Amino acid sequence: MSINRREFLKRSALVAAAAAIGVDSILGNTIKTIDKTGEAGTLQTKGSVAWHKSVCRLCGVGCGVMLGVKDGKPFGIKGDSENTINKGLLCVKGFYLHKMITAKNRLLYPMIRKNGKLERASWEEALNLVASKFKEIKEKHGPDALAFYGSGQAETEETYIANKLFKGHIGTNNVEGNPRLCMASAVGGYTTTFGADEPVGTYDDIDHSDLFLLIGSNTAEAHPVIYDRIVSRKKKNPATKVIIIDPRKTPTNKIADLHLQVIPGYDLAIMNAIAKILIDENLVDEQFIKESVNFSDGTNPITYDDYKKFLGKFTPEYAAEKSGVDAKDIIKAARMFGESQAAMTMWTMGVNQRVAGVFLNNLIHNIHLLTGKLGKPGSDSFSLTGQPNACGGVREGGGLSHLLPGHRVIANEQHRKEIAAIWNVPPDAIKPEPGKHTMAMFDAVAKGEIKGIYIMCTNPAQSLPNLNKYLKGMEDAFMVVAESFHPTETSKLAHVVLPASFWGEKEGVYGCTERRSQHMVKALNPPGEAKWDADILIEIATRMGYGKNFEHYTSAESIWNEYLKTTKGKDMDLTGATYARLRKLRGLTWPVPNENHPGTWHRFTEGDPMLPKEKAAGKRMYFYTKPDGKAVVFARPDKGPEEPVSAEYPYVLTTGRILEQWHTMTMTGQVPELLRAAPKPYAEINPEDAKKLGVSNKELIKVTTKRGSLKVEARVIDRPRKGTIFMPFHWPESLTNILTIDAVDAGSKEPEFKICAAKIERA
Amino acid sequence: MLKKYFLILSLIIGILLVYGFTDSGQVKKGDKHPKVDWEIGCQECHKDATPEVYVKWEASRHGEVNFGCYICHGDGQEVFYKKGKDDRCEGCHSTQAEDMKKTKNKSCFNCHNGHSLKFHN
Repeated sequence: MSINRREFLKRSALVAAAAAIGVDSILGNTIKTIDKTGEAGTLQTKGSVAWHKSVCRLCGVGCGVMLGVKDGKPFGIKGDSENTINKGLLCVKGFYLHKMITAKNRLLYPMIRKNGKLERASWEEALNLVASKFKEIKEKHGPDALAFYGSGQAETEETYIANKLFKGHIGTNNVEGNPRLCMASAVGGYTTTFGADEPVGTYDDIDHSDLFLLIGSNTAEAHPVIYDRIVSRKKKNPATKVIIIDPRKTPTNKIADLHLQVIPGYDLAIMNAIAKILIDENLVDEQFIKESVNFSDGTNPITYDDYKKFLGKFTPEYAAEKSGVDAKDIIKAARMFGESQAAMTMWTMGVNQRVAGVFLNNLIHNIHLLTGKLGKPGSDSFSLTGQPNACGGVREGGGLSHLLPGHRVIANEQHRKEIAAIWNVPPDAIKPEPGKHTMAMFDAVAKGEIKGIYIMCTNPAQSLPNLNKYLKGMEDAFMVVAESFHPTETSKLAHVVLPASFWGEKEGVYGCTERRSQHMVKALNPPGEAKWDADILIEIATRMGYGKNFEHYTSAESIWNEYLKTTKGKDMDLTGATYARLRKLRGLTWPVPNENHPGTWHRFTEGDPMLPKEKAAGKRMYFYTKPDGKAVVFARPDKGPEEPVSAEYPYVLTTGRILEQWHTMTMTGQVPELLRAAPKPYAEINPEDAKKLGVSNKELIKVTTKRGSLKVEARVIDRPRKGTIFMPFHWPESLTNILTIDAVDAGSKEPEFKICAAKIERA
Repeated sequence: MLKKYFLILSLIIGILLVYGFTDSGQVKKGDKHPKVDWEIGCQECHKDATPEVYVKWEASRHGEVNFGCYICHGDGQEVFYKKGKDDRCEGCHSTQAEDMKKTKNKSCFNCHNGHSLKFHN
């Protein structure tokens, strides 16, 4: 049955109203009630509200939330005032989590495509079909004709099971996840610069910083609680300054002291110019550089002098000409950064979703290494994560095609052997070559080379770039989609759709931006026939003949305990983060090598339990994940975008997010209040551009790129830089990603969602 | 007989309408927004319609962090609360709510202005 959103909302209200007076829905669309006899149903007595400690399901900040349950049903959400991250505060999306649990688009039973239509099926039929079809594909075409595409929203336990099944048993490294689309360049930056993924510090640094450099981050809308912490810091310490480098004026500008409104794609020149000014004006920490820094041109080591020579061309004037920003502002930004006592740079998709994403990440780390503004209170180069468990499940859990759990890589034989031993498979069971990265994976699906794909907890048919190239292949392949919601753009194309338990209905761990792992309680039973994703994967593993290595799991905790073995002794040691502790605490920041350890604030310095004390003696920071303990300052060229503007396509299209919606709206699109705030798709256009094109506010415009066209309402507003239009990608009825480019960063393989060339006409 | 069924049916529909569209004696649905324009967000209209309210809100801590109208007032059509309710505040300010319960105050809004959030204003 297809209904539009407005109709849906009207019906939701009627159902809610009917429920309030204790009658069934007059539309006959009652929400399935929770089984009160089940495990979760026994957690509270009838009539009283029990509040359960959990973690927000949405962005990567990792706010603590309390889920209220009454009579086996979600009652409400409160911020967890004891959580150190949000101290009780919530953003507008987290505020409505309980409404997402009971959303009308919850998927209640398995479905199989028959005669072109998805029809209800039994679990037995669906699981047997998936297992037999996957076996058949493996036998006929080899294991690499199969693939898994997961999510930074899945629990660590779920991703761990998928990784073990596909890499360790089916025998393909074609295991990817949507963090490839958002965080891969940050991973590339951290691993090349520091030798290991994830930040040195934590959110606590915010409360000690007096300079925030926000680059490619609309923190106010994409990470609202972090924004709130910056606002609080600024109020408490009015000397605190905020610099923004971004092509748009955004709500974050409310707290900006300086905004460098850069032409999209040309901020690398600015970062190199800032590094040059810091050195030229002696705002660097020479002692720190001597002790803890190496220099590289990306291929070979270079000297500090070589690096200075490399920076020679990056004068403020050169950077100004390239970036469209005033040279004086670049100098001002460099001085503000260099003269600050403690500085934090924070960034997200505006830096990562670029063909120069890893380079730009390196350039950010450069200015912190040159000034020694790292590893001490208030100073860090701190990447903001987009999803709640991208760091935990996928980056730490090894849920990408080149990774293995515990910060290991496929290409390392010793790493493969260590994981094979924990998985109880032969040492050579894991293939030595990395699998296909996300875009190569969906390209192989489009070409028919990958014939079977399992998609868990994500919606690539809306979130991939250059969608028109990939949708047909997804429809033709044997595509299994495990989801809590239906229809999504992806589940609509699936051969088999499996109903998955949602947040609050399953136990597990999320690991957020600041290296903090937090426990999520199971407080509700799933509706209908929905099952926990890990259970679904174990059922498939068993039916494929791999049962002996999966049947021993008795709970989420038993999977977590096995995962902990993969982290022992690693830089991300989580051994001390047992379920017993996590259930009580508001998470632990790794490394946390034993059960008495309180967690680590700053890595690579005093207080880091993994620090090799003898080697580090006499040095403030020792990067033990690098062979000689030194991090690397990279001489990276100011690489521009893949598709610069041209005479035919004279505008830059940049895409992104708004406060009230999240990703593909599968969850937030079900909340009337959030829809009310931003009811329909739009494109922001600068007033000067609008005047030139003769476009008025709210007029329909046609946006065209080399890949497709879309008609959308113009919002004439002084937000995007002249020559740039901004389109959120949330609304499924208006797929912004048919316009975006699928060119990827050479290192991270992350696509350049943020920049492509477009033309605009009145529709 | 038919008349009796009709009466019962009318009564049920009446109850549905009254209970379905009211909230603890708050303004009936549609009273304030009989023709909400679903094409625009709350702020877009209220910037012009009630500028004094918008300015107060924008300068407040809620405005600072973009905590929008809908948090306290509902979506404006299906759910509309004319006056904010304490349970909305408690979502983020549970500690303060606990403290308030120790006082004689009955509502957060006894002391805090709903839009500026200023104390005793």
